[in-house]
Amino acid sequence: MNSLHLAAPPSSLSHQRDQSQRDQSQRDQSQRDQSSLGWLLIITLCCLCALSCRRDRAEQREDVLVVSVEQHSSWIRNFNPFSPNARRFTRAGVYEPLMIHNSVTGELTPWLATAYEWNQDYTELSFTIRRGVKFSDGTPLTPRDVVFSFMYLQRYPALDISGLWSIISSVEESANHQVTVILNEPFQPKLHDIAQHIIVPSAIWSKITDPVAFTNPHPVGSGPFTEVNVFRSQVFELSRNPHYWRKGRPAIRSLRFPAFPSNDQANLALVTGEIDWAGNFVPAIDRTFIAPDPNQRHYWFPLVGSMVNLISNTQTPPFDQLKVRRALSEAIDRERVVEIAMYSYTRPADSTGLSDGFQKYHDESISHDYQWADYNPTHAIKLLRDAGLRRDHRGWYLPESQDPISLTIDVVSGWSDWVRAAQVISHQLREIGIDARVRTSEFSSWFDRLRSGRFELAIAWADDRGSPYEYYRWLMGSETVKPVGESAAGNFHRFGDRAADLLLAQLKRGTSKAQEQALVNLLQRRYAQLTPVIPLFPNPQWGAANRQRITGFPSQADPYAPLSPNREPECLLVFDRLKPRASLAHGGER
Amino acid sequence: MAFVFKRLALYLIALVVSLILNFLLPRMMPGDPVGTMFARFRGRLSPEAMDALQQSLGFTGESLLDQFWSYLSALSSGDLGLSVAHFPTPVTEVISAGLWWTLWLAGISVLISFTLGTALGIFIAWRRGGVLDQTLPPLFALLGAFPYFWLAMLLLWVFGFQLGWFPLRHAYGDDLEPGWTWLFISDMFRHAALPALSIVLATLGGWMLSMRNTMISVLGEDYITLAQAKGLSSRQVMLRYAARNAILPNLTGFGMAIGFVVSGSLLTEIVFSYPGQGYLLVQAVRAQDYPLMQGLFLTITLSVLFANWLLDILYAVLDPRTRRST
Repeated sequence: MNSLHLAAPPSSLSHQRDQSQRDQSQRDQSQRDQSSLGWLLIITLCCLCALSCRRDRAEQREDVLVVSVEQHSSWIRNFNPFSPNARRFTRAGVYEPLMIHNSVTGELTPWLATAYEWNQDYTELSFTIRRGVKFSDGTPLTPRDVVFSFMYLQRYPALDISGLWSIISSVEESANHQVTVILNEPFQPKLHDIAQHIIVPSAIWSKITDPVAFTNPHPVGSGPFTEVNVFRSQVFELSRNPHYWRKGRPAIRSLRFPAFPSNDQANLALVTGEIDWAGNFVPAIDRTFIAPDPNQRHYWFPLVGSMVNLISNTQTPPFDQLKVRRALSEAIDRERVVEIAMYSYTRPADSTGLSDGFQKYHDESISHDYQWADYNPTHAIKLLRDAGLRRDHRGWYLPESQDPISLTIDVVSGWSDWVRAAQVISHQLREIGIDARVRTSEFSSWFDRLRSGRFELAIAWADDRGSPYEYYRWLMGSETVKPVGESAAGNFHRFGDRAADLLLAQLKRGTSKAQEQALVNLLQRRYAQLTPVIPLFPNPQWGAANRQRITGFPSQADPYAPLSPNREPECLLVFDRLKPRASLAHGGER
Repeated sequence: MAFVFKRLALYLIALVVSLILNFLLPRMMPGDPVGTMFARFRGRLSPEAMDALQQSLGFTGESLLDQFWSYLSALSSGDLGLSVAHFPTPVTEVISAGLWWTLWLAGISVLISFTLGTALGIFIAWRRGGVLDQTLPPLFALLGAFPYFWLAMLLLWVFGFQLGWFPLRHAYGDDLEPGWTWLFISDMFRHAALPALSIVLATLGGWMLSMRNTMISVLGEDYITLAQAKGLSSRQVMLRYAARNAILPNLTGFGMAIGFVVSGSLLTEIVFSYPGQGYLLVQAVRAQDYPLMQGLFLTITLSVLFANWLLDILYAVLDPRTRRST
């Protein structure tokens, strides 16, 4: 029988036949095969069961605040306050500034300095340094440390990120525990930058040979949370400073930062109640985050972020014409943009282009006088005709051109809210006959186009840096205008105005409160007259909190600071008020 | 032994070529690291600080050739430079934050997927036409055809969020101190279970099908019939005659897979918040972080080369013909 088989061609048919013949002799074997497979399955299942059994976890402690900021898959240890890549709260938590600019109230809160004072012509700024402040190693913070912290930037220009030493000429210690900053020229709007400079211990930092490449793994600072007790790639903890100068503060023991590489994961943890404080974007927040526990969970998105603008290259036709810019503005239905792109978390901009961060300067009458930020497509078409553009069935034409205008709106791919906004805008521009397409690109190439001025339309932020002076300087200041092709640091729309320059110069020189208000009002009016950019909506500051374990967060009802962990140094104001709920006899609810 | 050394020489050449490519490829991308760094400050960086930072980052505008020489000389002393995106942390430190977790998670899932898939492939080919042969291939082909992102999200949602059987994120419990304790190791397994399961489900079908197909064609060979005719036990015929020959293409695939393990599985890391190389690589590309990209590419190339070299040796052991033909 065997020889017969060898002679036969091994076709699959014969295989199957001889397999059936073999079956008898194979049975034991195959049963063993099958049983071993069965065992494998059983073992796998057992493993899965064992793994899925819940381990008895230590209850999340009541006095630890779990925060979700920065998105990284693993943490890299860096507590160098001068480094742009320092972990969050290094600059406001481990270290502290002289004063804190509160973007909600618009006030400067005294912190390491108890007061500030300008001289007559706004060239010298004196800070009175608080007495009794200690660093976390127990050594006192003296005016010497303050002077040192400023001089340090002069010694290492790579650390001087906001360019303080381009306007400071020297820093001196003076009598009565004071430090005086002497400027090159009168420059009142720089007050915020100077006052928010962080103070480091001179005894330690004077010994660092290369502070630019220093990661400061064991920081010594004056802030509420200085001790790095836990630092692992997926979680780290900052604990209470044993020598903190504010008595009895902070009431919470430590801050805990789990690493989340994406918004989705952070939102999942927010929804399950594992995070107490978050600063990431949450879609449909009322349904996803608030609904499970409306009493303890709240969010507050104050519109104090920078204004988001549709910018056009005002040095190239047709955008050099005011009427065209206004026509584009009136063609945009901002209500729709806000609803679709921003889940109605913000409001449409008006013709002052001011976000709520500048509310105290806002002049209501201007938005009545200038209505180019209201949706009015028929008037937009009239404006285009007035500007000398022709129209046929293919679209709008420039006066001497044969081809219809075709525009590109540049946005950064992955910035989904702006991409959605650009899509809505492109749709609305097409409705008045302007062919506008959305182009998404990587940040660096998008940014390259903006800086060099080689774009037509783009969605971009307004640079405000917390002061109306900076806001208007980057919108209309002639000195910030760079020719197309040359790389610009701001004012990508390349718009300058002489009248605005004069107002800015007065603002810079320093004024009284009332005078400042008057100047900002004039600048507002100038902006509304000129439409340098097309404002869309103010950016909200994302902030959500879960008060189940910890209370004292700011809210719309108690707006003492913004509810956003992304706001350094204002989060210091929040840390100061936070309290564990345990003291309120809250047990047994979970 | 001569065979091993001959192979080694070939790999050295491959290494040199990849070192050059490592250097060139990131620099061929549009944009530059200084621009992107500037971008992250949203224009807040003063020009003086920018110049000084460029100096300390090592972007001094020297020619490509000079850059290449300093890259090589630093490399020869094991210095991968400082990362730009995580400045001033050294690249080696950044990579080591993710490398071990990637090796652990991707390693274990590729191993499980390969062994289980190959074993199932052998088995269903041997009993072709059986119940398992009719159900498993279409089932796993279906699972493999799902978008991986969706499959992983589904697993996370069902087993992590709804049923609460598995942790939702991370490689171990946040409240645990890493160490060789039973608690920590069991926790590591628990955390790896769901991500590993998702990878295994998505890739098992490939291993199984390729093994099954080669196995079936091998089973048609004369020597199988001969082996059976000699009266060898069916286990011996299945494993030593059929599977040993049929496994060679799968082993090649395994070598490649082991190499790519090191590059991490980006989607797994994102869905399960698992630390690893994949996300670092994406961050590096986004920030145009040349040193970090070079470091990551280097670990990937080295491990692909190393895995293939090991595999070459294994091949020679399994199949004597490869020894003679070279």
